[in-house]
Amino acid sequence: MTTSTAVAAPGSARTSAHRPQRRGAGLEVKRQRWGWLFVTPFIVVFLLFLVFPLFYAFGMSLFTSTLATGTQFTGAGNYVKAFTDPLFLEGLLRVAGFAVVMIPLQLIVALAAALVLDTLTSWLSKLSRLFIFAPYAIPVVIGALMWSFLYSPRFGPASSVFGLFGLDTPNFLASDTVFGALVNIVTWQWAGYYMVVIYAALRSIDPSIYEAARIDGANGWQTATRIKVPMISSSMVMVITFALIGTLQFFTEPVVLRNIAQGAIDAAYTPNMYAFSLAFSYSQFNYASAIAFSLGILVFGGSFIFLFLTRKQSGLK
Amino acid sequence: MTVFSQRTADLSDHHTTGIPVHEVRGPQRPGRRTGRRRIGSHVFLVILGIYFIIPIWWLFVAATKSNSGLFTSPAFWFDGDFALFQNVAGLFTHEGGIYWTWLGNSFLYAFSGGIGATILSILAGYGFAKYRFRGRGAVFTIILGSVMVPLTALVIPTFMLLSQYGLINTAWAVILPSLLSPFGVYLMRVYTQDAVPDEMLEAARIDGAGEIRTFFTVALPLLKPAIVTVLLLSVVGTWNNFFLPLAVLTDPGLLPVTVGLNRWTALSNAGAGGEQVWNLITSGSFISVLPLILSFLFLQRYWQGGLSLGSIK
Amino acid sequence: MKSKLLAAIGLVAVTAAALTGCSPAAESAKKADCTNKIVNKDATQVSVWAWYPAFEDVVDLFNENHDDVQICWTNAGQGNDEYTKFSTAIEAGSGAPDVIMLESEVLSSFSIRKALVDLTGFGADDVKADYTEGAWKDVSSGDAVYAIPVDGGPMGMLYRKDILDQYKIPVPTTWDEFATAAQALKDAGAPGVLADFPTNGRAYNQALYAQAGSVPFAYDNAKPTEIGIDVNDAGSKKVLSYWDDLVKKGLVATDDAFTADYNTKLVDGSYAIYVAAAWGPGYLGGLSDADSSAVWQAAPVPQWDAANPVQINWGGSTFAVTSQSKNQEAAATVAKEVFGTEEAWKIGIEKAALFPLWKPILDSDYFRDLEYPFFGGQQINKDVFLAAASGYTGFTFSPFQNYAYDQLTEEQYAMVQGEKSSDQALDDLQASLEKYATDQGFVLQ
Repeated sequence: MTTSTAVAAPGSARTSAHRPQRRGAGLEVKRQRWGWLFVTPFIVVFLLFLVFPLFYAFGMSLFTSTLATGTQFTGAGNYVKAFTDPLFLEGLLRVAGFAVVMIPLQLIVALAAALVLDTLTSWLSKLSRLFIFAPYAIPVVIGALMWSFLYSPRFGPASSVFGLFGLDTPNFLASDTVFGALVNIVTWQWAGYYMVVIYAALRSIDPSIYEAARIDGANGWQTATRIKVPMISSSMVMVITFALIGTLQFFTEPVVLRNIAQGAIDAAYTPNMYAFSLAFSYSQFNYASAIAFSLGILVFGGSFIFLFLTRKQSGLK
Repeated sequence: MTVFSQRTADLSDHHTTGIPVHEVRGPQRPGRRTGRRRIGSHVFLVILGIYFIIPIWWLFVAATKSNSGLFTSPAFWFDGDFALFQNVAGLFTHEGGIYWTWLGNSFLYAFSGGIGATILSILAGYGFAKYRFRGRGAVFTIILGSVMVPLTALVIPTFMLLSQYGLINTAWAVILPSLLSPFGVYLMRVYTQDAVPDEMLEAARIDGAGEIRTFFTVALPLLKPAIVTVLLLSVVGTWNNFFLPLAVLTDPGLLPVTVGLNRWTALSNAGAGGEQVWNLITSGSFISVLPLILSFLFLQRYWQGGLSLGSIK
Repeated sequence: MKSKLLAAIGLVAVTAAALTGCSPAAESAKKADCTNKIVNKDATQVSVWAWYPAFEDVVDLFNENHDDVQICWTNAGQGNDEYTKFSTAIEAGSGAPDVIMLESEVLSSFSIRKALVDLTGFGADDVKADYTEGAWKDVSSGDAVYAIPVDGGPMGMLYRKDILDQYKIPVPTTWDEFATAAQALKDAGAPGVLADFPTNGRAYNQALYAQAGSVPFAYDNAKPTEIGIDVNDAGSKKVLSYWDDLVKKGLVATDDAFTADYNTKLVDGSYAIYVAAAWGPGYLGGLSDADSSAVWQAAPVPQWDAANPVQINWGGSTFAVTSQSKNQEAAATVAKEVFGTEEAWKIGIEKAALFPLWKPILDSDYFRDLEYPFFGGQQINKDVFLAAASGYTGFTFSPFQNYAYDQLTEEQYAMVQGEKSSDQALDDLQASLEKYATDQGFVLQ
């Protein structure tokens, strides 16, 4: 394990040459081997439960197996099929749509709440902060299950609320409204968590900066947009990155909602759901692996591009 | 949102490289606005608070209803028949009180998986931060990149691996994969880099301490805040885990509460031979979300401090 | 603050310890034992996956009466949850039980993956006479037999007598009368509708088509690469356009089936009629306290041609032996005998409201004369379901039934959304299934 070619790690600018020269280089090398020892327990688990399954799944994706005929090696065949498969492409388009709507929405809610909270110290604000964060403590599956009750015309409040105004209750789970229904669940579940992260970042800004701004005549809005937001941009970039990864792999919420809206949410609603259906409903494990890998490549590409574009804000070099 | 619901991975990172900071501001900070503005802010917050809490209120109200009350009474208010205690009693008797076994399993998996993941993360984070061994950069990059792969692809190979060692349908099948927390490693590395000065390690070594002793006596005490954060995130991540236990566990006595409740839901919707236990599902869900909500409530100061770790440069 | 934190952590730890103390996962991480007690510990153990909660008593009964074989039962989840697990186990090559409960509609999907054992070599023919022809056909493919039937779902019509009486609507016996009744109910200004047409009805929708002569699939495991697909036949088109018409006129609802919403509507009078399988009464019974004023009755399913009634079936489960089983002989014994006694069936009927396919109980006076309190003491088996069961002639499912159902749901949903006509929906379904079959390497007959 201690082999492999020398790769300069980012941040390893301070090489041993710059280190105190009290000991011999041999001793230094020996000590650096300790690094491997510390890392090894994690690496073992990583190899077993991620790298090995990953390689295995990649291997599977290179074969094609159909119900009637046997298994044969088809190389990149499944990948060619995936990127011309309308179901996969439609799913990609859909999660891209979710990313465009859902991420800004969550971010705006989280940022607005955090900025407001940052200016208040009342018990009411503390209580609100806790309330906004509370959904994070609820497992995604149970959260989605709760919302599927709330969307129901029978159990949910919608019929009584709309009834008050003499309106017909909208169907939240029709094919044209289910998108919004899902956006709502995800925002509810995660915005509070993002809020806390952003809030924590805001709290760590040195307050003397605001003092200076106030002397310069900046009002609250200007302080928020010109000072606070830029100063927490690195947290924002990271929040967005992970929201992006999560959204492109969108899975649990639509799967739970599909139980009550099978027409509006089909088995290939998102690429991840498509991979799952292919594997476990239609027994096409090989093609499912290829779909999952294709998605992984795109997620990787997408996050990489995003991080590259925001490298200034995030402080990642 | 991923298949294995590794929440720790997708919620992930808000912590860029940076310096650990502490609460620098007291409650009386300069730059606060007063007057009308505050009323507007409060109204805004209260509306948001209601939006976020109302589904949980619904769950509480639903937990107090009988099976038929659930289907006949208003969504956000109590039924005339307050059945919470009957429901809780039902949880003790239905299928021999298996609900409490599920809850116990959830605790077991969350704590053993969470603590294990934290230990591995501390060690690996320290190793990556404080030793410049060969291959470090490459390995670290691969670990970070692994978050991108949708875990749908891994279900079958993981299942095969576990079944190879006879671990399918055992607690290990859930705990072992939960030990993997790439984000925890990342966080610990970033934190260790800044919080543990090389000079202190060097000094300890000069005093004749070995690498292991140096780690325990010098580094570990400095890492406490990050340890709590990583622990919290991994415990929550494992607690919320759904698809991993769904795939690898069969025995009802081994299920965590998320999978167990899902099973009751399926059974309540089943046609032939099913049974309707909606009241147990709602009261069971409510009780199952209490431990996390309460610990967030009581540990508030602690996790909020933890989440600010390294969030700004 | 620190002490408070420590106290909180301590509390959590104590709670955790207390709770995990009572969890079997904590006791040992070794392979979990059976849910039930093993009576005879020296006997061969056969692992069984089944999801009916009432199965527990049936297992105990079996174990008490068998010295050589014992059942080790696990509830591995209901329907699809169990199938997902089974499917994973097949792909991984291990992890399946010896005997598994499967709905008859998925048997071909698993037998084509060589996951099930042909039971003809294990004495399946010995028990063939205990089942009706239709039930036996559902578990057979050509000469092979892949499971032993357990319960079935012969169809009838459950209706709210109070509602039909209130609006003076006669109980429909044909689909024409059914449509007239739907119109009459609406004209009378009733708050609900006559019935629901769930686009996700899957086996339910398929049964309705079958009643008009649809034979969607021709498949024989002996020739596993050939399949016949005919889902856009005249019969199916007649049925779907009939429902499309009712939907367009607003005479029936289009709610998804098997949701909490649908369950409520079944019992609160939103639908006056529930076209149901024989397990439907059990399903309704679990919800019945929602509306105490309801008066339920059962009647035969409406017919297209009253002179030539056609009986149909919706659902039903079986026990199959998996090819991963190390002891297929013992496993086959379990599959054949677990529901092969009157005592076992009394548990199944009274606790789980199952409809037996095992003739000794099916033909018994006990079952025929059974009175159902839910139906005001009506003898629903005698009146409705026994005739439905004996008239059922069996069905051939496709080896990719899940896909076929998903596509059917999509097409029907598109139709009720007004996106396409009923004929178009079925033509599109035909095309997508043909393409899928070809992609999967089948030769179309």
